[in-house]
Amino acid sequence: MRRPTSLTLRLTLLFSAVATVVFLAFGWIIGHSIENHFVSEDASELKIILQAVDQSLAGPTSQNDLLRIKQRYDDILVGHHGALLHITDASGKTLYSSPGLDLSLVPPPEQHLQGSIQQWNDTKKNYRILTQQIAGQSNGPYTVMIAVAIDFHLHFFKEFRRTLWLMVVSGVVVMGLMGWIAVRQGHQPLHHMVDQVSRISANQLNTRLSPDTVPTELTELAVSFNELLQRMEEAFIRLSNFSADIAHELRTPVTNLMTQTQVALSQARSATEYQEILYSNMEEYERIAQMIGDMLFLAKADNGLNPPNAVDIDLESEVRNLFDYYEAWAEECHVSLALEGNAHVNGDRLMLRRALSNLLSNAIRHTPADNCVTIKLNRDENQVLIVVQNPGTPVPTEHLSKLFDRFYRIDPSRQRSGEGAGLGLAIVKSIVETHGGKIVATSNETGTQLRISLPL
Amino acid sequence: MKLLIVEDEVKTGEYLKQGLTEAGFLVDLTHNGLDGHHLAMTEYYDLLILDVMLPDVDGWRILKSLREARKEVPVLFLTARDSVDDRVKGLELGADDYLVKPFAFAELLARVRTLLRRGTTPATELNMSIADLELDLARHRVCRNGQRIHLTTKEFALLELLVRRQGEVLPRSLIASQVWDMNFDSDTNVIDVAIRRLRAKIDDNFGLKLIHTVRGMGYMIDTPDGDS
Repeated sequence: MRRPTSLTLRLTLLFSAVATVVFLAFGWIIGHSIENHFVSEDASELKIILQAVDQSLAGPTSQNDLLRIKQRYDDILVGHHGALLHITDASGKTLYSSPGLDLSLVPPPEQHLQGSIQQWNDTKKNYRILTQQIAGQSNGPYTVMIAVAIDFHLHFFKEFRRTLWLMVVSGVVVMGLMGWIAVRQGHQPLHHMVDQVSRISANQLNTRLSPDTVPTELTELAVSFNELLQRMEEAFIRLSNFSADIAHELRTPVTNLMTQTQVALSQARSATEYQEILYSNMEEYERIAQMIGDMLFLAKADNGLNPPNAVDIDLESEVRNLFDYYEAWAEECHVSLALEGNAHVNGDRLMLRRALSNLLSNAIRHTPADNCVTIKLNRDENQVLIVVQNPGTPVPTEHLSKLFDRFYRIDPSRQRSGEGAGLGLAIVKSIVETHGGKIVATSNETGTQLRISLPL
Repeated sequence: MKLLIVEDEVKTGEYLKQGLTEAGFLVDLTHNGLDGHHLAMTEYYDLLILDVMLPDVDGWRILKSLREARKEVPVLFLTARDSVDDRVKGLELGADDYLVKPFAFAELLARVRTLLRRGTTPATELNMSIADLELDLARHRVCRNGQRIHLTTKEFALLELLVRRQGEVLPRSLIASQVWDMNFDSDTNVIDVAIRRLRAKIDDNFGLKLIHTVRGMGYMIDTPDGDS
């Protein structure tokens, strides 16, 4: 997947784009209205002149008094800067023509354009020209052409337009720049958070971000990050304890082996004595080997390397098989075994069998003589319940939640009484969790209950 | 019976060789994959014991070459890593068995014997016996010295296993797996109790004791003169 563009760049570009659109629209509106303004100003000027011409043509016209006519039209044009007039009568005779420009060169407008304003330019100048037929009194109708020079306007407009463009461009640039600064500034809390996070190292996992000091948009991120830290801290502590425990648990048997071997070698002994020592060593080795196997299983489960090979399991028959297996031993301990209910569950047969076996042997071991270990199977709409319950001295509450911790023993002094490495229940928990289930321990005067719930 | 061990861990290799030699096998040992590969391809062996991880040519390669050359000699793998992938790979390549280190020597010995026996003795016999103990497999009956002895189903299965492999030391894990289908180590002495109970019925009232405890290794059934 391509890496998305940086937020700063993205926002800056967006800002610039928005600014460009706004400025362009604004500039277009201004330019357009100014142009319109000029056009209407020119038009009204042309109309005023036309009106005056209309009036003068309405009066009696003496054919011979050309000088006076000329004077009259000159007067009309006074005050209208750059205005020109050209009048012809019906016979095509020029009645009046302003000096400077021969308006007869202007192509006559189409019939339907009579009375409208057209733009025309000779080689030097631009004009707006109004052409109109006026009835007049004698020799009519007259064709009147009035022109005003608009170069001044056009020039102004050109200048204005250039300025406008310059303003638009610099406006966009300034907006983009300011947008960039604003975004940088707006991201400040984020950078601050990154700084905080990057300072957290493995031995400072207890650091937390304070969600109250970040903007609301980032609160959720801070909270999730804190939760992540929490989980990591817990896992980290568990892992460190686990390593320490492994070291400790291995040290004991290795110390035994070393001492025993050194003592054995310190003087000559009989073959039987050597044999005894080897047998005793053998037992220690077996313990170590089993511990390694159990730890390997747990390590793999932690890393999700024990995917359950799910099949339909008849828990009742599984438990019966286990009873079969443990029956003789339980009888020796004067403990009876009972099963209530039945249930099917989808799961890994080997793993669940191992979990149940660990639970059962644990329960038998902690049950006083002449008592009964009961396994209850039950199912409701969405889960299967397996309860292993045995009478016995109640487990203090503070130990209950730790029962499933690795190497955890209620009584540390009992650790070498041949009940395994203290990983049995940890393995049970790991297996149950691999199946998406939960295990809870409760204990009171009547005994201890381990309750597993597995999802269907 | 001639075996080849390819194991780069010198000490492990030597002990395996000693143990298997003392158990009555002819054993060749090499410490590297190249020699192992050469020996496996040129010599005749009844069984190969291969370490998976070897510095030069690993166990998988040797097995692959063997199977490609259509040599169907049974192969038992030893590995320090127990991952599902490895197992699957081993089985796909045609390994016959798989042992994860650390393992009990008795376990290895039992598995070696199982592999060597495979395909040679069809287990169709209906009666088995050792000394004056007789088993009627079809009717699940046991007699000693003509006297009928009542056993539970599991006790019978346990005795049958012992008798079927008389003279062999069977480790507890193997017994648990074969009789109760429990394929994991238990930290209890369940097997010891079961054997004790079987002994009470089979041996206690008779002069000749047949079930023997081999300390640190397991149990076996045998007559005093050995081969029966």
